[in-house]
Amino acid sequence: MRFAGVMLAVAAKDLRCELRGKELLPALTQFVVLSLVIAGFAFDLDASSGPRLSPGILWLVLVFAGLLAFGRTFAAERDVGSLEAMLLTPAGAPAIFAGKALGATVLLVACEAVLLPAMAVFLASPISPAVVATVLLATVGMAWLGCLFAALAAQTRARELLLPVLALPLWIPFVVVGSRAVQVAMSGGGFGAWAPAGQPYAVLLDFDILFLVVSSLAARFVLDD
Amino acid sequence: MAEVPPGPTDPEGAENRRLTALAGVAVAAMLVAGWAIFVYAPQDALQGPVQRIFYLHVASAVAAFGCFAVVLLGSLAFLWRGSLVGDRLGRAAAHVGLVFTTVTFLMGVVWAKPIWNWDPTRTWDARLTSTAALWVIYAGYLLVRRLAPPGRTAMRLAAVVGVIGFVDVPVVYFSVEWWRTLHPGPVLTAPGGPAMPAPMVVAYLVTQAAVGLLCGVLVAIHYRVQARRDAALARAVAAQLELASAPEGR
Amino acid sequence: MVLGPLDLELAAGERLAVLGDNGAGKTTLLRLLATAARPAAGRLELLGVEATRERERLRARLGYVGHQLGLYPALTALENLEFFARLHGLGRERARPALETVGLGGVAHRRLEQLSRGQQQRLALARSVLHDPELLVLDEPDASLDAEGRDLLGALFEGRSVVMATHDLALARGLCHRALRLRAGREAGDPWGAPRAGGPSVRPREGAGPVPLPNGRAAGARALG
Repeated sequence: MRFAGVMLAVAAKDLRCELRGKELLPALTQFVVLSLVIAGFAFDLDASSGPRLSPGILWLVLVFAGLLAFGRTFAAERDVGSLEAMLLTPAGAPAIFAGKALGATVLLVACEAVLLPAMAVFLASPISPAVVATVLLATVGMAWLGCLFAALAAQTRARELLLPVLALPLWIPFVVVGSRAVQVAMSGGGFGAWAPAGQPYAVLLDFDILFLVVSSLAARFVLDD
Repeated sequence: MAEVPPGPTDPEGAENRRLTALAGVAVAAMLVAGWAIFVYAPQDALQGPVQRIFYLHVASAVAAFGCFAVVLLGSLAFLWRGSLVGDRLGRAAAHVGLVFTTVTFLMGVVWAKPIWNWDPTRTWDARLTSTAALWVIYAGYLLVRRLAPPGRTAMRLAAVVGVIGFVDVPVVYFSVEWWRTLHPGPVLTAPGGPAMPAPMVVAYLVTQAAVGLLCGVLVAIHYRVQARRDAALARAVAAQLELASAPEGR
Repeated sequence: MVLGPLDLELAAGERLAVLGDNGAGKTTLLRLLATAARPAAGRLELLGVEATRERERLRARLGYVGHQLGLYPALTALENLEFFARLHGLGRERARPALETVGLGGVAHRRLEQLSRGQQQRLALARSVLHDPELLVLDEPDASLDAEGRDLLGALFEGRSVVMATHDLALARGLCHRALRLRAGREAGDPWGAPRAGGPSVRPREGAGPVPLPNGRAAGARALG
């Protein structure tokens, strides 16, 4: 219960700071909209090619938005030395980390709340509840792993260089499976496709669990000496 | 501190000689392997001379994986026990493993192009992707080791990358393999196929042994150089402390 | 920064001033005592517990104020304290009294970034005693403290063991029982600083006898003991 309390407190604190500071969310939203507009022109999208390219564009935007979000969330703590202040309490690194990851997830989800409708409008992407559920599922896994490496990279001299280098090889399986899952969802595959093993949703869920466990175990070593 | 004069009781000199001898053996073994590959092994009927790349390619891949297993063990040893040896071993193995991964990757590409008529834009093989991911992960390991605040922090962070990276490789392999079964591309047979004539198997084993030895020697040399550097640094720091806290002419 | 071998023992309720030039190792020592850093070698026992194990339990009994504030600029003074109270597993109601103790009751709802540096430092002090720690570790707390803040220190130290690094000799003498002087990472022989031809290693204070400290003990007597 203490774990949950700390996690929620940290996430709430992050969101409150973001609401007051208003730095990250506008940057993310701007990035998302800009990406879609450019994609529209660059890929010469129309009513037929839009839906076909949608899964790929969705993941492209999500990965880069994620990199942006995770990097900033730890950089901000580093600037004021508050990460150490949090660690010097009985709260514990795993719970603190979970709170940061949860906060980042919520921010990304807010970003997706703009992205998905925008895609429906500009790219004629078929956005269904299955698509939304898939994207949410993927966001959680990405956020947890992304935040772990963001916390790592924030302690080094070249944060912007290291975060993509570290995170991308680990995100490959995610993107591969997630992209397929979104594809299935967009071509009408509903939740009936959840149960059978080997189906993209199931594999996505497996990855989520794997990454959540690995990140939580590693958090202690990354955040604290 | 006086340097230990070279002589029968000089441990560093003896160590140097041992490693040099081992290196000589490794080079000799590689020459033997070269003979085995180009002279002893028969030419493949289907693939022609290009097939000979296979021996070195697979041997390098195995050596690279061996190195990364060492990185994993060294990283775990550091995280659990604070073992400096583990960290040093991990660094050495990561450097050498990266070299062998590069070799594996390049050879794989050179081999695939004529044999499978492989078009990189059409399909990404699971092995290819995993190898590329492996390369990036361990390059990341070394980058973190270099760019983090030096000392225990750099060791700790790199060790985390070393452990997670190793776990990721089978995941990458599995996911691309899973994806590829949905997108059948050109037929990818296992290198060499299951039915290899005996001389080929022998040639492969010889090559693998030679490459393994070479790999081990390289790691040992790398480790030894780093250990000496660390020891010299520790001595310098201790001397600095002595000097700085000397009484100021009371 | 490397610290040479150091033998240090502190009795319960004792107050130690750590003196020395910049770069002498004061910060490194204090961070070790606060469990913000891990010793590379040697044995560190804090409050009867071996410092590298059970860090979370130890941190519940330690308070630390370092060079960085570790507080959130976008949150108000009260919100900052409430957050850290939650991390300590305490109720939010602990925040308000702590705020009053350092005289910041009037600016409870002002954001941190709108407070003066002296007020911010006082808030950091409040945060360090929020959980009623047994040991307080302060790294040059007087550096940014206003006059009000400096008066507070004595009250905050009440009933706790304190290790305080400072350049202010008068402050140290007024508040602490003994001193440790560091030079190049090692203990230097003349803690209270002035070179002497001979005689006792601690100079008796000028003035009419030792100044009584809030806990009833006299600084002068302790130092010579």
